[in-house]
Amino acid sequence: MSNPLQRFTTAGLLADRKVTQLMVFAVLVFTFFSYLSSDIFFTRENFSSMAYQVPEVAILSIAVMLSMLTGGIDLSIVGISNAAALVAAYILTKNMTEEGAITNSWILIACAAGIAMGLICGLLNSVLIAILNVTPILATLATMTLFNGIAIGITNGVSISSLPEQFVRIGTGTFYGIPSPFVVMVVIAIFAGFIINRTGLGLKVFLIGTNRKAAQYSVMGDRRVIALTYLISGFLSSLAGLLIAARVSAASPDFGNSYILLAIVVVVLGGVNPMGGFGTVTGVILATIVLQMVASGFNALRFSQFLYLAAQGGVLVLVMMLNVILDRIRTARSINKSLGA
Amino acid sequence: MNINLKRLLRRNETVLLIAIIVFSLIIGSRSTEFFTVANLFDILRSSFVQLIFALGVLIVIVSGGIDVSFPIVGIFAGYAAVVIMQKFELNGESLLIPIILAIVIGVLLGGVNAIAIAGFGIPTLIATLGTAGVFRGIMLSFVGASFISDIPIALDAFSTADLIKYESESGFLVRLHVLVIPVAIITILVHLLLTRTIFGRSVYALGGGVEATRRLGISVKRTQTKIYLLVGGLSGLAGILYVSLQRKANPYDLAGSELDVIAAVVLGGASIMGGYGTVFGTVLGVLFINMIKNNLILLGVSSSWQRAAVGVLLVIGITIQAISENRRNKARRASTEAEG
Repeated sequence: MSNPLQRFTTAGLLADRKVTQLMVFAVLVFTFFSYLSSDIFFTRENFSSMAYQVPEVAILSIAVMLSMLTGGIDLSIVGISNAAALVAAYILTKNMTEEGAITNSWILIACAAGIAMGLICGLLNSVLIAILNVTPILATLATMTLFNGIAIGITNGVSISSLPEQFVRIGTGTFYGIPSPFVVMVVIAIFAGFIINRTGLGLKVFLIGTNRKAAQYSVMGDRRVIALTYLISGFLSSLAGLLIAARVSAASPDFGNSYILLAIVVVVLGGVNPMGGFGTVTGVILATIVLQMVASGFNALRFSQFLYLAAQGGVLVLVMMLNVILDRIRTARSINKSLGA
Repeated sequence: MNINLKRLLRRNETVLLIAIIVFSLIIGSRSTEFFTVANLFDILRSSFVQLIFALGVLIVIVSGGIDVSFPIVGIFAGYAAVVIMQKFELNGESLLIPIILAIVIGVLLGGVNAIAIAGFGIPTLIATLGTAGVFRGIMLSFVGASFISDIPIALDAFSTADLIKYESESGFLVRLHVLVIPVAIITILVHLLLTRTIFGRSVYALGGGVEATRRLGISVKRTQTKIYLLVGGLSGLAGILYVSLQRKANPYDLAGSELDVIAAVVLGGASIMGGYGTVFGTVLGVLFINMIKNNLILLGVSSSWQRAAVGVLLVIGITIQAISENRRNKARRASTEAEG
């Protein structure tokens, strides 16, 4: 049981078997598509467009990962991110001039309101899961319907588009030559990595995911930890929502419905244990990049988007199957070893 | 007697029944259109497909799992059956051929879920999320992605096969679809299956605790395999009936409708942790959700709030369940402490 914990505090990157596997996998996928489609995939434009798309998925995946580390799951991420984006978009469009000009303070207010929305949604999840003891799957399934339903009800299902220029720059601009969403993602990844590896909260998250009963008996406030997890998940989802809105210059209740499957695929591919207790931010980011390469590669080879959907689901099921098989082999080997000795 | 009444009141089905009556009275007092036979039959008609899906979901939830792939399995089976009928120019006047085709396809897809869940022990939510993606992707890239409006004649005719049909005094056409009989029979069969067979008891046992079930000598894998095959078959049937009632086969339909069905089953009192749930509760849950969704307009609420209404109902439902569960646990803890 102390094994995963030790790995986090002492060992380096390559000591983690799953991250190593992923790195090899990433290089393979990269070479495969670069070879097959050197004129479209292996180009500067493609890599730069990937750098704009990766961050949204990565941030949503980190949100799912946090809840999964405690042994739960957050299915409401996309509902939250759309609600946050809609609130921000509403404030932005109400306060801009005809030409689309807006003061910087209104942009800040809109972003703050969006994040506040995310925190409120996260708080509702926290109350349901940590205080009322509702199973996370069910609670977030319900809130996902609720957030999405409220968003559809308020907007009548119509999207809010043509957001002000300055706001859109957040999602499409560069920061010292690096796409700005990518910078946001790196900051968030470091923040999440810091929380789960270097703080007491992170340690407690892993403890709860490994053994909830033991965590309860150690009287460390397991409910507060779980509540905080879903609050942070709501916060991260709202950031992802703002980034999506800034990139596509619109907000809609229907955006990114496919992101729920994608985020879970990313998290599982990234080596996070869906039962809780194990996972790394590095793994999640790597998995996002791998899947984005597959998506871009499929696109470059002119495969349909539905084939990519099938590939996502297939990867999820196959990775889980592979983990089970490898686990069985490892257990059998260690039993044999101990019998032999 | 007193205790019995208390126990009856605590049951989810009773609460739901009261909720249905209260909501009916509220809607009925707002609008005279609510308490009409036509409206009742409309609610029934919109519940058929959902109820069959819900019965499958009930079995999965009672066994302690969750399935989010069933609407995709349903539309895959329904759509593929129609495509096969057209491609091989099978007899379009037979109603049985497409239905059997759809059920077989549903069972096959359920088999894929069974392999992932029973064979490899993948958590049910993750497995079915994955297979849903695979099924949808395969259907839209290989089976077809276009809308078929000329479905086989028999399926088309079946959509208007009414058991009772007359014109009411106010000029409304009152229609009760024939499906009410087969759906009722399936509902009763599933009820008997869950309560009167070894298989049914092992489903409840599995939901109560996997390890305990194994030690009872029940094969967990075999039970899970049967569950997912059965759910696949039920979903396939629901899918082809959906196609028939809509009089078109649209591969983009049904995706996303899993929440309404899961909401209905959970509102009907099935415990998502497994081990508890009744067919009667599920029937009430489906009727309740459809009653609310169909009659929001009569309440003066625009129909774009339908989804939010389902969300609110679901949040309220799970909150009530969780509170009563917490109270029961506390009572149990208190009684053991008193003994000790």
